[in-house]
Amino acid sequence: MLGLTKRAWSPYTAGIIVGLLQIPAFLLIGTALGTSSSYVTISANLAQFVDPSIVEIKYAANHLGGAKNWWQVALIAGIVLGAFLSSRLSGTPRWGHSPFWARAMGAHTPARRYAMATLGGFIMVFGARIADGCTSGHGVSGIAQLAIGSFIAVTAMFAAGIITANLIYKRV
Amino acid sequence: MSVFAAILIGLAMGAIFGMALEKGRVCEGGVIVCQMQMSRHAMLKMFLSAVATGLIVLAILVGFGFAKLSPKATLFAADIVGGAILGVGIVIAGACPGTVLAQIGTGYKDAIFTFIGGLFGALAFTYMEPNILKPVLTTGAYGRLTLDQLLGVPFPALALGFAAIIIGLLVWLEKVSPWEKEIGPNADGVPEDPALPAAVAAAAPSR
Repeated sequence: MLGLTKRAWSPYTAGIIVGLLQIPAFLLIGTALGTSSSYVTISANLAQFVDPSIVEIKYAANHLGGAKNWWQVALIAGIVLGAFLSSRLSGTPRWGHSPFWARAMGAHTPARRYAMATLGGFIMVFGARIADGCTSGHGVSGIAQLAIGSFIAVTAMFAAGIITANLIYKRV
Repeated sequence: MSVFAAILIGLAMGAIFGMALEKGRVCEGGVIVCQMQMSRHAMLKMFLSAVATGLIVLAILVGFGFAKLSPKATLFAADIVGGAILGVGIVIAGACPGTVLAQIGTGYKDAIFTFIGGLFGALAFTYMEPNILKPVLTTGAYGRLTLDQLLGVPFPALALGFAAIIIGLLVWLEKVSPWEKEIGPNADGVPEDPALPAAVAAAAPSR
């Protein structure tokens, strides 16, 4: 069931493993799983080189350091590592971009896809920071804590996502 | 806890997280976009499985007093506006803030651009937060509101009941749409091309 050389596990197995990660998150770190605030930690630390006054912004200062912030940065670094190992063990490494995009958008150049990815990444994290959480922080962790704000944010996320996906792409 | 210990724990947890995201195939933009088109449901299945497991885990941890919940504050306007912007971004990028890192791990080059875009999104928010965004962020602030408080039911009981409903929904969803069909012949969320025979589509390089 958990063969590392398999190219896919059932989404149920994979989801249960993510849910079980709440145990070390709550018991060792004292927080729930989340990923999007690490973008603030990384970008604010990098921006310091260009604009040292960023530390005067309270929001940046709150994210610059400390065990919980660096834990989450390490968490997202670990995701890269885990996915790298997993894809190599199963012989499904990827490169370029997925053939899915040609199916959803018709013929297009890599440059167009990279521009879309950059724009999408910007919008995605900007929105996640306004909502104070993303698919993991509000979705997986917030709903598991029955937080009202997370029910609202996840409903808005799926509603806007469903409308956008049906508007801008061909149905695949 | 020292920062060093936190980083080691984070790396170990992240490696497991990344492996689950890759094996669950939500590292594929196709899986995420098809979910949003509501044509295939691998992402929703994994998401709801993680939520149900989290509900059961937290019902036990909280019920026996091993842990305290740390729910996010309810910020009505910020949750709606931010959640909607997040949803639009996820569809354009074909990734979530967490799954983009799994995409990078598997080798997708466009994911690096998504991640860099995300860093600039975080930076833009940081600069705009104090002056421009505060009115949105603080409209409809209700504090750390949770459903069990609203209903006056103990958290463990409600969490277990809610988990049972989700599990029932997943059993039904799997019956209607089996997961192995949903991920496609190349496990990338791309369905068989109707123009090609299945064997050719499976053997085609995933460039």
